[in-house]
Amino acid sequence: MSSIIEELQSTVKKLLEDGTVGYVIGWGATRFPDRTTPVFITRPEDAHKLVWNHYCVNGTAKYALDDRYPEKKIGIIIRGCDSRAVNRMIQDNQLKRENLYLIGIPCDGKENPVCEGCQHKNPLVYDVLIGTPVEEKINPDRFKEVAEFEKLSQDEKYEYWAKQYDKCIHCYACRNVCPACNCKECYADQYRVGWQGKQNNRNSNQVYGLTRAFHVGDRCIECGECERVCPMGLPIMRQTKKMLKDINDLFGDYECGLNDSRPHVLGEFDLQDRDEFM
Amino acid sequence: MSRIGVFVCHCGTNIAGTVDVARVAEAMKAEPGVVFATDYKYMCSEPGQQMVKDMIKEHKLDRIVICSCTPRMHENTFRKMLKDTDVNPYMLEIANIREQCSWVHTDKEKATEKAIALARMAVAKVGRDFPLFTSTIPIHKKALVIGGGIAGIQAALDIADAGYQVTLLEREPSIGGRMVMLDKTFPTLDCSACISTPKMVEVSAHPNIELRTSCELEDVSGYVGNFEVTIRQKARYVNHDICTGCGLCETKCPTKVISEFNQGMSERRAIYKSFAQAVPAKPVIDPDHCRKLQEGKCGVCQAVCPLKAINFEDKDTTFTDTYGAIIVSTGYQLIQWQDLYPEYGGGRFKDVISGLQFERLVNASGPTEGHILRPSDQTEPKDVVIVKCVGSRDPKKGKSYCSRACCMYAAKHAHQILEKIPDSNVYVFYMDVRTPGKGYEEFYDRTRKDGANYIRGRVAKIYKEGGRLICRGEDSLLGRQVTVEADLVILETAMVPADGIGEVVHKLGIAMDADGWVQEAHPKLRPVETQTAGVYLAGTCQGPKDIPDTVAQASAAAAKVCGLFSKSEMETSPMTSKVDQSKCCGCGHCEVCCPYKAITLVEIDDREGPKKIRRTVASVNSGLCQGCGCCAAACRTGAIDLLGFTNDQILREVDALCQ
Ligand SMILES: Cc1cc2nc3c(=O)[nH]c(=O)nc-3n(C[C@H](O)[C@H](O)[C@H](O)COP(=O)(O)OP(=O)(O)OC[C@H]3O[C@@H](n4cnc5c(N)ncnc54)[C@H](O)[C@@H]3O)c2cc1C
Ligand code: SF4
Ligand code: SF4
Ligand code: SF4
Ligand code: SF4
Repeated sequence: MSSIIEELQSTVKKLLEDGTVGYVIGWGATRFPDRTTPVFITRPEDAHKLVWNHYCVNGTAKYALDDRYPEKKIGIIIRGCDSRAVNRMIQDNQLKRENLYLIGIPCDGKENPVCEGCQHKNPLVYDVLIGTPVEEKINPDRFKEVAEFEKLSQDEKYEYWAKQYDKCIHCYACRNVCPACNCKECYADQYRVGWQGKQNNRNSNQVYGLTRAFHVGDRCIECGECERVCPMGLPIMRQTKKMLKDINDLFGDYECGLNDSRPHVLGEFDLQDRDEFM
Repeated sequence: MSRIGVFVCHCGTNIAGTVDVARVAEAMKAEPGVVFATDYKYMCSEPGQQMVKDMIKEHKLDRIVICSCTPRMHENTFRKMLKDTDVNPYMLEIANIREQCSWVHTDKEKATEKAIALARMAVAKVGRDFPLFTSTIPIHKKALVIGGGIAGIQAALDIADAGYQVTLLEREPSIGGRMVMLDKTFPTLDCSACISTPKMVEVSAHPNIELRTSCELEDVSGYVGNFEVTIRQKARYVNHDICTGCGLCETKCPTKVISEFNQGMSERRAIYKSFAQAVPAKPVIDPDHCRKLQEGKCGVCQAVCPLKAINFEDKDTTFTDTYGAIIVSTGYQLIQWQDLYPEYGGGRFKDVISGLQFERLVNASGPTEGHILRPSDQTEPKDVVIVKCVGSRDPKKGKSYCSRACCMYAAKHAHQILEKIPDSNVYVFYMDVRTPGKGYEEFYDRTRKDGANYIRGRVAKIYKEGGRLICRGEDSLLGRQVTVEADLVILETAMVPADGIGEVVHKLGIAMDADGWVQEAHPKLRPVETQTAGVYLAGTCQGPKDIPDTVAQASAAAAKVCGLFSKSEMETSPMTSKVDQSKCCGCGHCEVCCPYKAITLVEIDDREGPKKIRRTVASVNSGLCQGCGCCAAACRTGAIDLLGFTNDQILREVDALCQ
């Protein structure tokens, strides 16, 4: 591990020194040994502040959205999930690949339950790779939880989600962290009477949560950030996983963000597609 | 504050019989913004319209709700009516209380409640309507016809005769399509080539027609009145500007290739004209078989051509032109029955042939000079079995639809065999005999009187025994198995859309049905139009049909084009999509889902804090946009709105309904 940290730090130092990037997004230490925090390294002499350990849980890619028109390239240290987040945002036309310098780092799982089912531990795209690729495995239980949940009756499901949205505090953390939520102005932030209530109550929370699920369902990269940040512990991924499961059932194996080419599965129109419904 | 007028129509007793129209009008008076509401017997009638106009003046109405039949019926009528008033024609909503209420309910009390709810929705929406204005676009008076079968030929001639320019595009080296392959045509039995080749020649000689054979559609952009079309001219290796069609090259070419025109039953050369009366009457080189092009050796044709018209260096070229209208007439082909019916030999038996092969066999210019001879041994068959509906009306193996022409041409084939081979026996296996056309039933009757044996049932199996073909099937009228020994079996196979129709459809932004036929805009009321304005349909590309129907449809499509071309500019619907670029994040989801390719992503200058930036946003070409609303549904941020059906307007309706 320590040699990887050294490699990481020296790589970042060099990139900052030679001006390849304006800054680098990665992880830094906190007061607690089992916590890290996202850091923005802007000076070569600060490269030693970067850490790489079991607690590097935060997604790094989404921060780039705050700087869509950078003067220099943005350096991002990316794991497998972060690389898919980058692909996601490029696919959605929100980032340009040429504005990014991707420092890939194979990841063997962090202090995050979502990592157990991770199928892409190695970055799918990068400009430089730190360390060596790790072994990846298919997760046979990818949709197990959803399949179980599907067995409940409609009323039971409704009751379940209604209770969940009683807990939700409408803080938008799930949206803010999600790499698929990359709109310039989220519908939930728009002022439209009768459209989306901003109150914190079952009704408005539900409309918000379920609408968001539909907005990202066919583009979710399964990074689990939404669930990780939710202060109220809502099982948010269950919604997007349900949509992904349906997509897999309908169109065959599909995972989002494996490359940066457009369009995405539900937007695609094939010459052989027929319009049975017309 | 808006001043809404609500007018509830009785439609005679159509609505008033099931809905208490007076109560609906009364209820609307209490809705916010409504200053006047009434009911009337026939709102669409002259006095009805006059009454609306009078009330607009009297009550200074600025928006109107009409509770009546479906908007598809009279929305335009009432829009036109509003043109004579101060109210913008798009400040109008129609509540459909007929098709969606009175016609489908019997309980007057409940139907009235529903009508009130529908009217309330319309009132809520009209309150959010804003004026929309039509604009005009110029019309480029030149038509493109894709597919040079009889449909394309007829359409091109009709448009050209009306004085407009036409380009007729055909991917094969000659026009003519399937019709020139046929021998005689039912029910009159006139010679198919004799009635179609003069038309082909007329096409090539017509001053208003530009004939483009060996060409394919490459790309289409633009919109009604102004389609930009790129066409690919495939390499022909023969310079048609020089070639006189003397045919010397053909006689000297050493390479023999199976003839497509004669359905595999004769040979042609690698430099060839598909058939004697081909138009243009000049040969092309088939690059897949030409020795010179494949192996670099030969070049005999080049050596013998007196005019030096052969050019082995020829390449595909493309050219672009502007068209105001496009007619699709790409026709049909026969289903690949060999893969679907192994029980009929799956193509292993030479003497089990398709109807089109029979047409060539019986044709005087065909491979046997019109003598009906078995492909296997060139002997005259005595017992012939005709099997109808092979691949048609067979959802399990083939297509569920009826191919429409087969009943009649099966009768034609039976008649031709009995006529040419006097001591022959003809057995026709059929499911039904459908003869809905002028003189069709009489023709079928005559064939039976000629001696054709009609057996009702499907053939289950065909196998070979001692040089003969044994057809086993069921006679479902007698309820017993039948076995017929035959020398020749003719399968009357299903029509399916021409290969490559998917690409044409996609390039034109029109739709196909589940079977791949091109979809008309409305099966009854707009049968030759497509959902894309300016794109029309003719012939079998829309569905199986015979020549009379094909020609009628072609002339109908041509009439539509001439109608469009009779004006120099046209009004466009203002109900198109509009992007609020301040909200648009440029994700492009709308762009990919737009079936009319009306959306493009563009860069705009913007600011982000103090920084000047270039930002990507969506932009709608209102000429191309057909107002389908797909983009508005795909846009997550709600940056796109369909004018006339904005998110806000729809939300008002839903709100009103949920009250
Ligand atoms: C065995 C048989 C016997 C028949 N007998 C009779 C009869 O006796 N009487 C009768 O009324 N009807 C008969 N019919 C039906 C008749 O053949 C059709 O109704 C008629 O030919 C349809 O004409 P069309 O122009 O629509 O199609 P087609 O004749 O198929 O012409 C379509 C043309 O479009 C071209 N094309 C296709 N795709 C493209 C493309 N992408 N780009 C450019 N060009 C393209 C094709 O090459 C072709 O030239 C018979 C049919 C069969 C199968
Ligand atoms: S898992 Fe959650 S945060 Fe990650 S992409 Fe899917 S919805 Fe967004
Ligand atoms: S919730 Fe929907 S509109 Fe909001 S940011 Fe996410 S995808 Fe965009
Ligand atoms: S993060 Fe959790 S609490 Fe916050 S809005 Fe999302 S679901 Fe609700
Ligand atoms: S879908 Fe909406 S946000 Fe995306 S490009 Fe189109 S208009 Fe803009």
